[in-house]
Amino acid sequence: MTRKITIEPVTRVEGQGKVTIQLDERGNVDKAQLHITQVRGFEKFCEGRLFSEMPVITPRICGICPVSHHLASAKAGDAILGIKLTPTAQMLRRLLHYAQYVQSHALHFFYLASPDLLFGMDADPAKRNIIGVIQEKPELARKGVKIRAFGQKIIEMLGEKRVHPNAAIPGGMNRALAPVQREEIARQIDDIISDSLLSVNLVKDYIKQNKDMADSFASFDTSYMGLVDDKDNVEYYDGTLKLSDKNGQVLESHIAPENYLSLIEEKVEDWSYLKFPYYRKQSYPAGAYRVGPLGRLNTAGGCSTPLAAKEFQEFRRMKTHGVPNGSLYYHMARMIEMLNTAEEIKSLVQSDLICGKDIWQNSGVVNEEGIGVIEAPRGTLIHHYKVDKSGAIRNVNLIVATGHNNLAMNRAVGDVAAEYIKNGNVNDGILNHIEVAIRCYDPCFSCSTHALGHMPLEVTVCDADGRIRRIIRN
Amino acid sequence: MKTLVLGIGNDILGDDGVGLHVARRVARMTRAPDITVKETAGTGLELLELIRGYDRLIVADAVIAADPKPGKIQRRELSDMTNAGNDISPHEGSLTSVIELGKVLFPGEMPGIVSIYTIETAGVEEVTDKMSTEVRQAALRAAISILLECNSLIKSTP
Repeated sequence: MTRKITIEPVTRVEGQGKVTIQLDERGNVDKAQLHITQVRGFEKFCEGRLFSEMPVITPRICGICPVSHHLASAKAGDAILGIKLTPTAQMLRRLLHYAQYVQSHALHFFYLASPDLLFGMDADPAKRNIIGVIQEKPELARKGVKIRAFGQKIIEMLGEKRVHPNAAIPGGMNRALAPVQREEIARQIDDIISDSLLSVNLVKDYIKQNKDMADSFASFDTSYMGLVDDKDNVEYYDGTLKLSDKNGQVLESHIAPENYLSLIEEKVEDWSYLKFPYYRKQSYPAGAYRVGPLGRLNTAGGCSTPLAAKEFQEFRRMKTHGVPNGSLYYHMARMIEMLNTAEEIKSLVQSDLICGKDIWQNSGVVNEEGIGVIEAPRGTLIHHYKVDKSGAIRNVNLIVATGHNNLAMNRAVGDVAAEYIKNGNVNDGILNHIEVAIRCYDPCFSCSTHALGHMPLEVTVCDADGRIRRIIRN
Repeated sequence: MKTLVLGIGNDILGDDGVGLHVARRVARMTRAPDITVKETAGTGLELLELIRGYDRLIVADAVIAADPKPGKIQRRELSDMTNAGNDISPHEGSLTSVIELGKVLFPGEMPGIVSIYTIETAGVEEVTDKMSTEVRQAALRAAISILLECNSLIKSTP
């Protein structure tokens, strides 16, 4: 007898997901599929528009990481113009990017992940949420709001409209940072760094206290990918692509981002709207790799700033052989990155160059292809545009973090499902645990769609003939 | 009464942009000094920062109904929305949970009166800056209803 279990949608991840678990004849997990909805027609919508419009269009496809799309798009535009940015423009782009990291990682940790860690995965979802956190640990929730607001404020300074930033343009930036704004950032940054360090310690303590679970929960071998700088440190805005294997050994390094196609290939599956990128020198699906905080920290050799560098070393020592491969380590990696980017913000505003006025330049060139690659908070983001001689878009290809992690997330769901379904018995804890596993990856399911209303998490157990046997709701 | 009319949506996702269009129409149809109109594509904590300091909040947003009647407008109150813990907007948390959170974080700064105008959509799966006819027409009706609620509709001169 074959049964199908459907879970939809997953609460508290960005967008809507739907999980189908296919059981074999003995009632054990045969395969798990995470379906991701994607909006249609983006490429068609962009065709014929000028490449210079793309940095204001692409942020609208995602209400969660608009700054990342904005910057990747501007970088693709720089490549089309064949321009190397002025030092100040480069610094302002980094400031914007790091601010997005701080706000995005703070939001994810305090608002979405901390309830799981504080109350445990088995806690009632009615309690396991931000309202529960504010009741039990109001000072923690306040810190989350404060750190996030700090990042948002910088985005607002540079990007004017916070939801759809308008700061970077092909060739540079369209607004300089005023000295008074620089002072405002400098006044608050030490406090933000100290709260970030506290957040790292919070997750670190959790992992130390729950080491067995952290090492076993949704834990599996994959490769890892991320950008690194010329000292092999984690890089967020520029640098070269690096790929490491399950033990952290280098598979590929010093790959110019525009040569990303030499590393990865995309596979289409008929049951998912989202493609499955994989490392092309390995077969599919063995070529699965992970991106995002865990991908970056497992690929790089260190972090660029003193406090984060120390935490990086401790993070890597948590696994005696190889690198941490449990999905829960994403949370710790995320907080180390929040600390790293906060420290980077501090060093940026310490330089007088940040308030320079030389922020944009043009060229008479229109290259017919431009590729912009950055590390978005959720992982490597690739914008690849082809344009005609006038600069009108002919073709757009975007590879987003959730795509890179697609294979790994399916694996995580499958592993957790196998733990909670044995010989046809479905443990009610499966809902919470699958939700927690997916949330580690902080996926962005359907960009920018939103709805007010009730969206419960639901498991439907069906017979092979489609009859509903059982429905589990949270 | 210090009122915020907040349109939520994404204007390149078809009918999902209707909340923004409602807000724009409201802005054009009133000069009442106590009404502020804002637009956002954000949810969750983003909303928390936008709605602080108002006595009344009126939200306009698209909804995806199980049995959709595109253009159908419903006025709801916060109590009509589902339980704070389980009512999850896909992004960062529901309006209900945001206001609950705001009451603790910023005592006395959350709007005491909240109404939500939902407009049912014909679908939000395709990237386009055009809305369906039914939803476009509903934007005007929703804007009028909102201004009637505020008693601030500019009377047409005879």
